[in-house]
Amino acid sequence: MRIIVHKAKCQGHARCWAHAPDIFMLDDEGYILPGDVEVAEGDELLASRSARSCPERALEIDPTPAARVESGVDQPKVGRV
Amino acid sequence: MATNPVPDHVPPEMVRNFSLFTSPGMLPTPNGDPHAAVACVHAGPPIFYSPFNTRDGRGTWVITRARDQRRVLQDAETFSSHRSIFASALGENWPMIPLELDPPAHSVFRSLLNPLLSPRRVRVLEAAVRERAIALTERIAASGTSCDVMKDFTFPFTVNIFLRFLGLPDHQLDTFVGWANDLLHGDYVKRPAAARTIVAFIDELASVRRKEPADDFMTFVVQAQVEGRRLTDEEVRGIGVLVFVAGLDTVAAAIGFDLAYLARNPKDQEWLRSEPDRIVPAAEELLRAYPTVQMIRVAKKDIDFEGAPIRKGDYVSCATMIANRDPAEFESPNTIWLARPDNRHAAFGYGPHRCLGSHLARREIVIGLEEWLARIPAFRIKEGTAPITCGGHVFGIENLILDWS
Repeated sequence: MRIIVHKAKCQGHARCWAHAPDIFMLDDEGYILPGDVEVAEGDELLASRSARSCPERALEIDPTPAARVESGVDQPKVGRV
Repeated sequence: MATNPVPDHVPPEMVRNFSLFTSPGMLPTPNGDPHAAVACVHAGPPIFYSPFNTRDGRGTWVITRARDQRRVLQDAETFSSHRSIFASALGENWPMIPLELDPPAHSVFRSLLNPLLSPRRVRVLEAAVRERAIALTERIAASGTSCDVMKDFTFPFTVNIFLRFLGLPDHQLDTFVGWANDLLHGDYVKRPAAARTIVAFIDELASVRRKEPADDFMTFVVQAQVEGRRLTDEEVRGIGVLVFVAGLDTVAAAIGFDLAYLARNPKDQEWLRSEPDRIVPAAEELLRAYPTVQMIRVAKKDIDFEGAPIRKGDYVSCATMIANRDPAEFESPNTIWLARPDNRHAAFGYGPHRCLGSHLARREIVIGLEEWLARIPAFRIKEGTAPITCGGHVFGIENLILDWS
C-alpha cells in the first residue's frame, strides 16, 4: 500500500503524524515531507486511518501493493519514493 | 443594532434570517447549546446570505457544508483573509500577521512562526503546561467540592501558558483577561478602548525586548528577519496583537464547553476517567462538537459559488461550528461520540491559515482534561446554577459552576 502525498495541500494539521509518527514525517515547520509514503505490511490499517484523518484531504490511499516500487531497489520497512 | 441593507446582487430568496450573533441561542443563554442551535442550517441550502453576521452588523454569505468551506478556505486567490478585523476597531487598516495576510506574503511570515508552534516544539512546552494544570487542579481539589471552572481553572490555566509563551509575568493575568473580554464581548465604547490598550501594550513590550532581549516570543519577533530584513514596527505589532487575541480565550472556552458536556454526561465522564488513554481521541470529538471560531473571508473577485452570485468585496463566513455538524461529513453529527473514528473536523480551520496555535491548543485541552479528571471525582453542574453560553465571533461559556460533593 502507498499513501500519495499531495504536498501542496498540507497545511500542517499534523493529524497523520499524531496517529503514526513513524510513518508520516514532518519538517521543522510541522508540515509533511514531500514524497509519497510506502507503507510496510502490517502498517496498512494505521496508515490508512492516519490518511483519513487529514482535514485537507492531502493524503490519498493507493491500495496497490508496495511491490510496485521499482524492482531491484531495496525497500526500507517504511520508506519514501 | 441596525441591519445593513441586503446588496442588490443577492437574490431575495437566498437571504435567510440566520445570524451567529442574533439567532436564537446566540445571545447569552442560561443552559444554552449554541453549537446545536447553529446545526439547524443543515436543513437548508449549502449557501445563503445572512444580513447580520459580523460583530459590526455586516452581512455575509454563509457556507454550510464542510466540503465547500474547505474549497473557500483553501482558495486564498479568490477569498482573501485581509479585513483588518482588529485595526478596524481603531479606524485603522493594518493586518494581524499572519492571519490577515494572503499568500505569498503570508507564507513568508507563516514559515517564520511555524517552528515556534510546531508539534515537536509543543512537546518541549508540554512539561510546563502539565505542571500548571496539576497545580490548579490540586488547589481546586483541596479547597472544596465545587468551583467556578472558568475563573478557577480554564482561564488561569490557558492564559498562564500563553503569557509564559509571550514572556509576560503571571500577576497581570486578570488584567489581560479583562482586556480580551472587553475586546471580544464589549460594546462600541469598550471594544476600541481595549484595542487601543492592547496595541499600546504590545508596542511597549516590543520596545522593551529590543533593548532587553529575553528568551521569549516577543524577543524572537523583534530580532527576526524576513527576506533579509528586520520586521517593521507595524509587522511586529501585527504579530503580537494576533498572538494576544488568538490565544487568550479560545482554548479556555473550549475546555469550558468540554467540562460542561462531561458534567452533563456522567457515563462519558467516567469512561474517560477510568481509561485516560481515551482522552486524546475524545478531545478531537469535543473539538468537533464545540469549536469556538467563525472564519470570514472577503471575495477578491466575482464568483458564482453553488448557485450564489458572490461579488468582489462580499464577506463569506465559514463557521467551524457549522462545518463540524455537516451530516455529509460526519455520521450523526449532533451525537457526541468520544471514540469517533476518521474525525477530520474543522475546529482549526482549513487552508493556509490553519490555526497556528493548534498544536499547543490541542495539548492544553488534552492535558487540562487529564489532570482535571485525575483529581476531581464525579462532577455535575451545581444544583441551582446554570452555565451561560453565547454565540458570536468566538463562542463562549461562563458561570460554569461544577460540584462534586
